[in-house]
Amino acid sequence: MQGEEVQRRLAALREQYAERIGNDLQTLMAQARELAARQRAVEPEALESLRHGLHRIAGSAGTFGYPALGQEAREMELWVQTVLETAVAPTSPMLTTLHDRLSGSYRLLENSATASVAEPQADYELVSGERAIRIAIMAEGDTHGLLQSLSGFGYDCRCLTEIEEWRSWRPDVVIIDTAHVEPAVWQASVAEVPSAMRVLLSDDGSFDARLQAVRAGAQGFFTHPLDVPALERRLRHLVSLPQQDPYRVLIVDDDVELAEHFRLTLKVAGIESRVIDQPSDVLRGLREFVPDLVLIDINMPGCSGTELARLIRFDDDWLRIPLIYLSAESDAERQAQALAQAGDDFLVKPISDVALTAAVTARAQRSRQLSQALARDGLTGLIKHPAIKELIEIEQSRTQRSGAEACVVMIDIDRFKSINDTYGHGTGDYVIRLLANLLRQRLRRVDHVGRYGGEEFVAVLPACSLDNACEAIERIRESFAQMECVAGKAVFHATFSAGVASTFDWADAGALLEAADRAMYEAKQSGRNRVCVARDTSV
Amino acid sequence: MQALHRVLHVEDDPSIQEVARIALEVVGGMEVASCDNGQSALDKAAEWQPDLILLDVMMPGIDGPTTLGKLREQAETREIPVIFMTAKVQPSELDHYRAIGALDVVIKPFDPMTLAAQLREIWERSDAG
Repeated sequence: MQGEEVQRRLAALREQYAERIGNDLQTLMAQARELAARQRAVEPEALESLRHGLHRIAGSAGTFGYPALGQEAREMELWVQTVLETAVAPTSPMLTTLHDRLSGSYRLLENSATASVAEPQADYELVSGERAIRIAIMAEGDTHGLLQSLSGFGYDCRCLTEIEEWRSWRPDVVIIDTAHVEPAVWQASVAEVPSAMRVLLSDDGSFDARLQAVRAGAQGFFTHPLDVPALERRLRHLVSLPQQDPYRVLIVDDDVELAEHFRLTLKVAGIESRVIDQPSDVLRGLREFVPDLVLIDINMPGCSGTELARLIRFDDDWLRIPLIYLSAESDAERQAQALAQAGDDFLVKPISDVALTAAVTARAQRSRQLSQALARDGLTGLIKHPAIKELIEIEQSRTQRSGAEACVVMIDIDRFKSINDTYGHGTGDYVIRLLANLLRQRLRRVDHVGRYGGEEFVAVLPACSLDNACEAIERIRESFAQMECVAGKAVFHATFSAGVASTFDWADAGALLEAADRAMYEAKQSGRNRVCVARDTSV
Repeated sequence: MQALHRVLHVEDDPSIQEVARIALEVVGGMEVASCDNGQSALDKAAEWQPDLILLDVMMPGIDGPTTLGKLREQAETREIPVIFMTAKVQPSELDHYRAIGALDVVIKPFDPMTLAAQLREIWERSDAG
C-alpha cells in the first residue's frame, strides 16, 4: 500500500529528526547558558547563531509532527530577532529565561518521543509526562543511603560512571559532590546533558564556594552533612519549574493601538496579556484573566490610573498583584505622589520593547513566586485548597465555553490514622509526600494537583474524558500500592481510594467536588484501594 | 496545459530535503532532484531543466532571493518557474518574494501529505501550468 509505505518512511524520518533536533536544542541551551553566565556583553554573532538554530526548528518541527515545538521555536526566534534589531544588549536574566524556554522545548520533544514509543495506540494525553524524574548522582564512596532515600521519594536515581550512560539515560537533575569529584571529571559528564539541572554538594559553605557554584550553573547548593529532606524539597522545586504557565499581564490603556503593540511585544517574549480599554472593565478582567501583573495607563479619560489602582486595592484578592503605571511622566516628584496613593512602580513611555519585556518579566516572576508560596502547601509543594477550587471553576467555565470535558479527582490515603498511630507522624508526612510526588510525576503537565487537607488530595485534569481520567488514576493507584514505605526497619504498603467526576455532569464547582468526594467515599465503603466514578443520577 | 513533473528542491536542511522528497516522489508521483545550496542549484537547474524549482529562502552562502536573481541571469534557467519555501510569516515579505518573480510562497512547516497538491495548485493557477 502506498499510504502505508509513506507513513512508515515518514515515521522513520520523524525518529531521526527527533534525535537530531534533540541534539540541536541541547547545543542551543548550552549556548544560551554560556551567554547568560558571561560577564561581558553578548556579541551579535552569538545571537545570530541562536536565531539561525531556532529558525531551522521553527520551519521544520511542524512537518515532522511537532507543531507545538515549532511554534515555541518561532516565538523564541522572534524574540532573539527583536533583541538583535533593537541592538540592546540582552541581560543575563533574559538569556536565562531563553535557556529555560529551550529546556521546556526539549522536554516537549522528549515527552512526545517517549509517548509515541511507549504506547503508539494509546491516547497521548495520558502517556505524556509519565516518567519518573531521573537523578544522576556523582559522588565518591558510600552513596547508597542517598540513593535509597531519594528512590524512596519516587525518583529514579542512579550513579553514572560511563560517559555513554549519560548520553543514553539523560538525567533531569545531576547531584555532584564537589568535595570528592574533580571539577574536570564532573564537568565533562554534565556537558553531555546540558539540559539537566545541577545541584552541588560541598564541604565548604562559604560565600565564595556558593558564588562558584552559581558560576558553575548550579540551581542548588548543599553542604555536608547533608540535610536530605531539604535536598528533596529543592529537587521538588526544581523539577516543577518547567511546568510553569506563561506569565499573565493585564493591560489597561485607552490607547488601543499602543496597548495592542505592548500585547504583541510581550507575546514575543512568551508572556500572555489581555487588553482592557475601559477602566470600568478592570474588575471583570482581573477575575477572568487572573493576571500576575497589571499595567495601567496613568492618564485615562473618566478615571485616572491612580484612582483605578486604589479601586483595585479595595479587594483583598488583588493585594498581592503588582500594579505598574505606564506614563509619560518623568518628573520624579509627581511619580512619587502617584505611588504614595497606590501602585508599585512606573514605566515611562515611550519604552523600548526590550525594556518593557525585561521590566514585566522580572516583576511577574516575583509576583508568581509570591503567589505560589502563599498558595502552596509547605509539606508537599502542592496547591492549597482555595487555589484548587479556583482552578476547578476555571475548568468548568472552559467546559461551558468550548465544550471540552475536564475531570476532578478526589484522593484519600487509606487508613492514614493507623499509619500515624503505628509509625508516628513523621512517617505519615513521608507517605503524604510520597503520594504527592507520584501524582506530580504521573499526571500530565497541564494537570493540577492540590492538597485538600490532611491526607486528602484533589487533581484537576483539563481536556480529559472520564474514561481517560479513570484509567490514569487507576494506574497511579496500582503504582502507589506497590511502593514500599520505609519507617525505620519496618516496610509497609499504603493505598488510596479515589472518586472521579466530570465537568459534563456537574455545572457548579462545589457540586463537582462534592460528587468526586461522594464517589471517593463509595470507594472507601466498597473496600478501599479502588477508584469509583461519580455518576449523575439526576439525569 | 503542461503537467508538473520534474521538481528541483533546494534546501540546506537534510531532514527537510528527505521529507520533501517523499512528499513529492512517493505521495505526488513527481521526479525530484535535491541540492543543498544556491550555487549547486544554479548548475543543476541548467543541466537538468526541471519544470519547477522549490527554493528555500534562508540558506547559508547564497540565499534564496539571490539564487533566484542568478537563475534569471543564466540563459538556460531564465524561464524556469520558482516557488519559495520559507518559515517567515510577515505578509510584507510574502509580497516581496512575489514581486521579485516567485510564482508563490510555500510556508514552512509544510504537511508532507499535501505538499505535492499545493505545488500543483500553484502551478495550475500560474501561466506556467
